[in-house]
Amino acid sequence: MDNTKIFVCENSIDGIFTAIYQAWSSGYGHANVKIEEQCDKNNYSNMELFSEYIIVKTDFDKALKVSKSVKNKISQEAFDMVCRAALSDYQGKGDLIYRFLILGFHMGGKIVNHLSHEVVNRIFKLNRYVNYEVHHLLGFIRFSEQDNRILTSIIHPKNNVLSLVTPHFADRLPNEKFVIFDGNRNICSLHVPGKSWIIAEIPGIEKNDCRDIVDDEYGNLWKAFFDNIAIKERVNPKLQRNNLPLRFRKDMTEFITGNAISTL
Amino acid sequence: MIIQEGMSIQRKLEILSDAAKFDVACTSSGVDRKGNQTGIGNSLACGICHTFSADGRCISLLKILFTNECIFDCKYCINRSSNDVVRASFTPKELCELTIEFYRRNYIEGLFLSSGIKVSPNHTMELIFETLRMLREEYHFNGYIHCKAIPGSDPVLIEAIGWYADRMSVNLEFPTAESLKQLAPHKNRKNILKPMRQIQLRRESNNEYLGIHDNKQPHYNAPVLRDDVFGMDSIYNKGPSNDNSLLKIDDVNYKGGISLYKRPSIKRDKFVPAGQSTQMIIGATEESDYQIMSVSQSLYDNFNLKRVFYSAFVNVNDDSNLPSTQDGPPLLREHRLYQADWLIRFYGFRISELLTEKNPNFNVFLDPKCDWAIRHLEMFPVEVNKADYRTLLRVPGIGVNSARRIIAARKTAVLGFKDLKAMGIVLKRAVYFITCNGRMMYPIKLNEDFITRELLTANDRLPYGIDRDITYKQLSLFDDISFKSDYKQDAKTDIKLVPQRYSPI
Ligand code: SF4
Repeated sequence: MDNTKIFVCENSIDGIFTAIYQAWSSGYGHANVKIEEQCDKNNYSNMELFSEYIIVKTDFDKALKVSKSVKNKISQEAFDMVCRAALSDYQGKGDLIYRFLILGFHMGGKIVNHLSHEVVNRIFKLNRYVNYEVHHLLGFIRFSEQDNRILTSIIHPKNNVLSLVTPHFADRLPNEKFVIFDGNRNICSLHVPGKSWIIAEIPGIEKNDCRDIVDDEYGNLWKAFFDNIAIKERVNPKLQRNNLPLRFRKDMTEFITGNAISTL
Repeated sequence: MIIQEGMSIQRKLEILSDAAKFDVACTSSGVDRKGNQTGIGNSLACGICHTFSADGRCISLLKILFTNECIFDCKYCINRSSNDVVRASFTPKELCELTIEFYRRNYIEGLFLSSGIKVSPNHTMELIFETLRMLREEYHFNGYIHCKAIPGSDPVLIEAIGWYADRMSVNLEFPTAESLKQLAPHKNRKNILKPMRQIQLRRESNNEYLGIHDNKQPHYNAPVLRDDVFGMDSIYNKGPSNDNSLLKIDDVNYKGGISLYKRPSIKRDKFVPAGQSTQMIIGATEESDYQIMSVSQSLYDNFNLKRVFYSAFVNVNDDSNLPSTQDGPPLLREHRLYQADWLIRFYGFRISELLTEKNPNFNVFLDPKCDWAIRHLEMFPVEVNKADYRTLLRVPGIGVNSARRIIAARKTAVLGFKDLKAMGIVLKRAVYFITCNGRMMYPIKLNEDFITRELLTANDRLPYGIDRDITYKQLSLFDDISFKSDYKQDAKTDIKLVPQRYSPI
């Protein structure tokens, strides 16, 4: 179609919800609108010549209205699914979520089981994809202790998972101050005992800021344990790689050799 | 015995983790426990893997021995008293600190504490008890703890530890009492089953007290599919496993002095909440897969175990009385046992459906479920849109997740093969056993030889590195068979596939 209206929004849950609100109430008709979240990768390179681009300014009130009606008219489960999809690194998730909600307002809560429908299926797969990474990171995140006893960690996740992993650690380590940096997005989550955790933006993190400043004795003990617990007769790097993809290892204590820290 | 004075923590850790590496149960699953805001730690029922060691196995817990200064002389064990190895022991405080500091850095989910027998079983258990008590009460550790119950120790100690641990385990070591006697002269079957029974009974009475209904009703007691076809009426109706005489419960009528001991002061109201597990060494002795799995089944039925683990034997002592493992430990066999174990716990199978005394070992080439399905083609194909959950579970290639997804999805639509694929269900093996809307994906004749060949080419997903177990010599037996599939060609073939079975060493 040569007159598609494309709503370009911020790459966040609120941004996408605002765009959905605007597209919905625009009256152009679902078939004539598209939602596109901004991201580094698609810097208008595939700009469609005859489409009209409408820049959406994130509006929390509108976003809140959308989330309320998703929860009330579809279900909490559908809402969670949509949020997780919005945190994924999938390009085109904004429009996918829009299509999912159109169907959801029509079908109600049973949409979450309607896996044979393509849109539902793709949302389901995005959820699984994000959940896998979250579950991996709950185990693979490594903290280093700084000399002020603050625990710091750096991760490089594909998806924007900080808000999904942090509650686990806040529950687990209620008496610790900790920081988890997302090195791909320059954001971090912060936890201080007795307060609820927050997510903050910080420009430019040095990897080394998050690793051990003092030579952490326990890091070395952990490496010793890690090496000795393997059964030599069963060494199996392929299986190891299959279970623990290489991309996680650069942030994991047991795979960082002493020298590598300074060269990273 | 070589005991060094003033050994560093690092050295102790090296020795005592190396000595613990053959213990398999490095899982943290089974309890969901939120953090308690004051201490440190929580627990997730699904378990979390924190890393994977060079052998590809999950590391979830700080798996370690309290001491390797062992007075026993088990022939298969590196720590046996007759070995000339460096010995070390932790103190309870050292272990607590290691656990807490590892836990803070998110290296681990908790502690898995085992031990050699230092001085006596009771002395060892007291040290373990003290470690767990300190961890829970002084360090306020709320994460996962798995610890061994040492056979032959006082029931009072086991009772006391059970209030601190999430999981406890006593290793059965071998499926038969005779093997145990031969290879572990200081251990005996009765001493192993006794604490197992004690923990089981205590958990049951604790659950009753709390009003919790544990999975006491094994789900496989109800007939699955048509049991006349199985010829297994007798087993379903007899109830839990009268079908083997390997484990006799009468051996262990536990009457302990439990009432003497009071519960610990801290607020923990569940006794061994994640249940108990055990472990058997595979391939050091002559028992068949059938014997091993019969024992597992009766452990699940009669002792309410959560898990039985299988550990492929490695001849660490180069003991000439034991089988050599120069060509590598029997990993494929171990893998098949885990597959069968899974079928028993989650898929409603009984071991007598999978193996018999005449046919006592698993097929090398096909996983146990495919092997079973091929011998029961009269029950297939099943209709994906109608079959109940248990029937779906019996289809090769359909696992617990796939079956659940199918059942959820067919509530809103009639499913075709395309839908199944879109839902991420792997059809490679399932196609031979299912219909969608009355149709098979390909016009396939349900013929044993044909499907066997197809399944062999579909290849079961062996974990990486295990396939080296199947020697090329064995595979070349099949050289003359065309493994290519050709659906148009009639599946008649004059080559009768005799599935190869390995014999126990
Ligand atoms: S009791 Fe036997 S298996 Fe356990 S550490 Fe001692 S020698 Fe090894």
